[in-house]
Amino acid sequence: MKTYIFLVCLIFFFAHKSLAQMPHDAIYMNKNLTCGALVYGNSSFTEYWENSLKRENQNIGKLTSESMTAMIAYGISKKINFIAMVPYVRTYASEGNLLGQEGFQDMSFWLKIKPLTYKGFAGHLGMGVSIPMTDYVPDFMPLSIGYGSTTLTSRAILSYNHPSHFYVNASFAYHLRGNTEVDRDAYLNDDQLVYSNEVPVPDAIETAFRLGYLKKDNQLELFAENYSCTSGDYIRRNDMPFPSNDMEMTQVGVYGKYQPKNIGVNAKLAYVVDGLNAGQSTTFSVGLLYLFNLPILK
Amino acid sequence: MKNCILYILFIISLFSCSKEIDEIEILPYAPISLDETAGNWKTFVLTSPDEVMISEPVPVTDASYLSELDSVKNKVLPNLTSKQKELVQYWGAGAVLRWNEIGRELSARYNVPPASNDEGIYPVPDPSNPLADPKFPFANPPYTARALAYLSVAQYDALVSAWKYKFQFNRKAPYEVDNSIKPLLPPSELPAYPSEDAVVAQVSFAVLLAMFPGEGPYLRSKLEECMNVPIWAGTNVSSDINAGIKLGAGVAVKVMARAKTDGMGAANNQSLTSGMIEHAKSLGIVNPWESQESPSRPPMLPNYGAVKTWNFDRNTLENIRPSLPYLENSAEFKKDLDELKSIQKNQTRKQAAIANYWADGPSSYTPPGHWHRYAAKAGVDAEYSEIRMARMLAYVGTALMDAGIACWDTKYYYYSPRPQQFGLKTSVGLPNFPSYTSGHSTFSFAAATVLSSFFPDKETLFHEYAQEASDSRIYGLIHYRVDCFMGGSHGNLIGDYAVKRAREDGADD
Repeated sequence: MKTYIFLVCLIFFFAHKSLAQMPHDAIYMNKNLTCGALVYGNSSFTEYWENSLKRENQNIGKLTSESMTAMIAYGISKKINFIAMVPYVRTYASEGNLLGQEGFQDMSFWLKIKPLTYKGFAGHLGMGVSIPMTDYVPDFMPLSIGYGSTTLTSRAILSYNHPSHFYVNASFAYHLRGNTEVDRDAYLNDDQLVYSNEVPVPDAIETAFRLGYLKKDNQLELFAENYSCTSGDYIRRNDMPFPSNDMEMTQVGVYGKYQPKNIGVNAKLAYVVDGLNAGQSTTFSVGLLYLFNLPILK
Repeated sequence: MKNCILYILFIISLFSCSKEIDEIEILPYAPISLDETAGNWKTFVLTSPDEVMISEPVPVTDASYLSELDSVKNKVLPNLTSKQKELVQYWGAGAVLRWNEIGRELSARYNVPPASNDEGIYPVPDPSNPLADPKFPFANPPYTARALAYLSVAQYDALVSAWKYKFQFNRKAPYEVDNSIKPLLPPSELPAYPSEDAVVAQVSFAVLLAMFPGEGPYLRSKLEECMNVPIWAGTNVSSDINAGIKLGAGVAVKVMARAKTDGMGAANNQSLTSGMIEHAKSLGIVNPWESQESPSRPPMLPNYGAVKTWNFDRNTLENIRPSLPYLENSAEFKKDLDELKSIQKNQTRKQAAIANYWADGPSSYTPPGHWHRYAAKAGVDAEYSEIRMARMLAYVGTALMDAGIACWDTKYYYYSPRPQQFGLKTSVGLPNFPSYTSGHSTFSFAAATVLSSFFPDKETLFHEYAQEASDSRIYGLIHYRVDCFMGGSHGNLIGDYAVKRAREDGADD
């Protein structure tokens, strides 16, 4: 963890000015511009959907997942950006006796391109791969820090920017998720006993709508996202979740960024309004951003 | 840029067809021995191999037999569907094995503790309404140990009886009567009447239906498959099957009569716990076990220790009961607790993996199921006949049930506190019953001892497994070391009683 903080700090030392950006937005940085970010995230729930049954669990209480993500975005060109992220995750339950977990989770690399522009409209394509960095336990759910699944994401975004600085965009992403390996040698999947340590993790579709205001480097956005697995089984009555579950959730939130100079901050607040085999999470994050020109590193 | 795209395409290719999970397939095999004398082996419940009678078959020259043979040869075999051929290969690996797998799968499906209701009460599963919430049964380790023990004993006793009749009547298989019939499974000289597959199908169906009363339709579909496979495979005619069904049904009644009176009905008698706690305090247990769940859950089957054992009597059970655990204020207790605290701080990934591998917690087939799986695999590897497989599983199964009974007796005799009552967490989930001794250790060493006597060349392996299963409970932070090693040596003793019984049943003469 310390190493990553150090790296990000080092990067922050060199500066230039442009826009911070994320894999799912429609914002690009100019060639050679780079944004380093360090984002703290906190996601927690006390209620969850056991299959479709909304419930609490007194032996878990409030389940919290905290993360610290180091991120770097780089402008390969004005229309092609590269993003890399490394998250460290820690989980704990407020009640009961389940041992919290922590560790580096899945690093991800993203490419985002803007092949089409017409007046204020633009079409974007994104591609990303996310790879577990460590051999964490994926099936001690809900305490596990991740799924242990290598994931390939393809995303298409259609955006419209109005001269008044308001924008809207819609995105569609497909998460192709690889099987995960568990320590056990048999498990139930859809009530069938599978004699293997390999568990299929269902693919997922993510759709999102965003509406916001972007002027210079400052941004305020409202969003709604739906994440739905394309297959998978359900959490059995009073059982724990499992990586093979068909998880679905719809979340709404607000995102903002303020970047008066090279140094900026961003913040996000989101809430799951509906779900299946998932926690009703409240998520917030705050990030520190820093912009600079990469060649200065030479 | 181009390289990036190529790399991405390469990754996509890695993902193609990735949702398929490869499982080890068990294929039909010809057993190394027919075990011709097995009709004389000593049974568990039947007083004699012909206690359940079946009628003498007609000779293969009889018109009614010839008509059955004609049906197999000219109606069934030429018109098999690919689904039927698939089922022949599946069941051809062994009906004993497949029903054991079915028993394990049902155990896993039913192994979820009931949820508490709005009043903070945990409703008790109701056998007369098995599919309501909570489903009946809660197939926890003691329940599963017992279900699989009765399944294996019933299969074994029924097969001893079947073998007796097979060699008494000596009616040949269809492909031996008519050489033009080509069986779909490895041929053998085993007499066909009564059908061993039908015997196993019916007896297994009856036992599992009694253990999992909500699974009638599922079990019936498996029964239909299993009893039809020998016709589809050309290894039996219908009168072989019918005699097998009759024999299986008769043996199931005898075996389930024991089950009905073995004391399981009183295993969840919660009114006994206050007396148990007082007794434990009188032995020096300062802080007896308390449920760490919220709301507080009544302990799992507090009177399971009074269930009737298989391979030793009540006196023996009391004589071999492990001695008093380390008491809370002793240096030994502190040492064990400190070990757990240190593991909690620095648990290695390897320790976590061992804890997870052997956890066999909710939604699993439990440790008894895990050991049945190893046992069945060893039987297949040794190319055991159906009856030798059933015999081995019956000894492993009864040893596991005895281990459960003796361990539960010990747990409630001492009513000792879990490490979580001293502030520890767990990386595997905390069972809701007293700590001393470790069920995993008792089950595992009992099973390993029995398996080692059947498969001496794998003795080291089985004992390594047992030791790992035992250690896993320390790594998972839910047992003190003393729970594990005392449970392990208790398990060894329990296994020895099964081994002794096996030596005297006539199979190895």
